[in-house]
Amino acid sequence: MPLPEFEFHEPATVDEACRMIGELGEKTKILAGGTDLLVNMKKKLLAPEHLVSLDRIQSLAQLDSSNGSLRIGPCVKAAEMAESDVVISDFPALQEGASKLGSPLIRNLATVGGNLVTARPAADFPPSLIAYGATLVLKSNHGERTVPLTEFIQAPGETVLSPDEMLKAIVLEKPSPLSGSAYIKLGVREALEISLLNVAALLTLDESGGTITAARVVMGSVAPTPLLSPSAEKVLLGETPSDVLFLDAGEAAASDSRPIDDFRASAEYKRAMVRELTRRALTLAFDRIQTQ
Amino acid sequence: MKRMICITINGKKYELAVAPNRTLADFLREELLLTGTKKGCDMGECGTCTVIMNGRAVNSCLVLAVQAAGKEITTVEGLETEDGLHPLQEKFIENGAIQCGFCTSGMLLSAKTLLDRNPHPTEKEIRTAISGNLCRCTGYQKIVESIKDVNEGR
Ligand SMILES: Cc1cc2nc3c(=O)[nH]c(=O)nc-3n(C[C@H](O)[C@H](O)[C@H](O)COP(=O)(O)OP(=O)(O)OC[C@H]3O[C@@H](n4cnc5c(N)ncnc54)[C@H](O)[C@@H]3O)c2cc1C
Ligand code: FES
Ligand code: FES
Repeated sequence: MPLPEFEFHEPATVDEACRMIGELGEKTKILAGGTDLLVNMKKKLLAPEHLVSLDRIQSLAQLDSSNGSLRIGPCVKAAEMAESDVVISDFPALQEGASKLGSPLIRNLATVGGNLVTARPAADFPPSLIAYGATLVLKSNHGERTVPLTEFIQAPGETVLSPDEMLKAIVLEKPSPLSGSAYIKLGVREALEISLLNVAALLTLDESGGTITAARVVMGSVAPTPLLSPSAEKVLLGETPSDVLFLDAGEAAASDSRPIDDFRASAEYKRAMVRELTRRALTLAFDRIQTQ
Repeated sequence: MKRMICITINGKKYELAVAPNRTLADFLREELLLTGTKKGCDMGECGTCTVIMNGRAVNSCLVLAVQAAGKEITTVEGLETEDGLHPLQEKFIENGAIQCGFCTSGMLLSAKTLLDRNPHPTEKEIRTAISGNLCRCTGYQKIVESIKDVNEGR
């Protein structure tokens, strides 16, 4: 399947990239790892006239964990996320998402930024990033703005990015010491699998380790966009962790989910799996607090 | 319009003009006639087009040749040295891990990047490392055993 013709641009800096996407106009696409964009171009779903590659801009491919937060360059690859010591130790749910995406070959190409901008309901990065409260830095010729990830993704394939804007960074605060998190992806096989559904969970306990002071449950593939469950949070906050509590939280998350019947599974099955995966993810998150 | 690129393939430097919409897979096969790199799905799903780019195994059907400029590429043709076939190639042949052979180049290159980083992988690590490479013939067992044999120096 030949690719349609286009002009190829390789800016060396973020400013130059912003200038290009500002000037080249509507028929311009940013190219990161290409695992979504080139596939869509081969399928003739897209035919941009200009591709602006971010490959040569080194600052966009860096992970920076100085001063208590993690700043992820949008061009960091899934494989690099999965192998990063900071991600492994402080953001295990993110590590789990990164290490389950596509295949080892895809993970060596696919970037975090591409995954967010593509905005697929089943994508592997958004749930854990939402659980960790990610904010995104967007940049254009006219300046920068910061948007929480929960507001960034609007609908399948749609974000708040305007055509002359690019994603410049993803910023996460390190969870407080008494926190644990986990991500579970459900599919019918281990690799090259789009999630049937997925759940990320984050729990934070107070200093005595007895009461839950912060909780987040985020589900993918059960609504048009990744979904943060307010009901699960309500069930968990102020309570003492227990198997029964996690079961109730699963029930609450399932009631917030809005899955549809499709060729992959029935809505009923997906709802039941939200219940179970939420329970498991919370249990795993809690175990991680206790073993750290 | 074509662009000049500098690219190192199997240790050899090339300076060539290439159309931006040429994938690395097509560039290798059709312009350099390095047809050891196969093309199955052209969509990132089968792994037959696997090459090693700057030390990492990738689907060359999802990389533009212009993106590979300045990078080092290893294809299956680059595995053999003056001393003969790569140990992985030897073991694949010995164990009958090749039937139609369409997946073999990709399997070898994914296995090579695994062993380069992790000389003594577990069976699970081996299976994960080749999970982006589909084989419709062998049932994977003999491929996994061949990689294990190299790792154990058998
Ligand atoms: C075989 C296969 C299996 C896959 N499996 C999975 C899977 O299991 N889970 C999963 O979540 N995804 C999967 N994907 C989808 C894809 O790999 C991911 O979404 C990936 O993270 C996309 O990143 P990329 O760098 O390749 O994006 P690209 O294709 O380069 O870009 C994707 C989109 O984002 C835009 N973009 C990229 N970077 C920026 C930026 N910095 N600013 C503004 N816009 C930008 C591009 O213009 C484009 O519209 C799979 C894809 C393939 C081909
Ligand atoms: S041809 Fe590239 S993955 Fe199938
Ligand atoms: S030997 Fe035929 S596909 Fe693997």
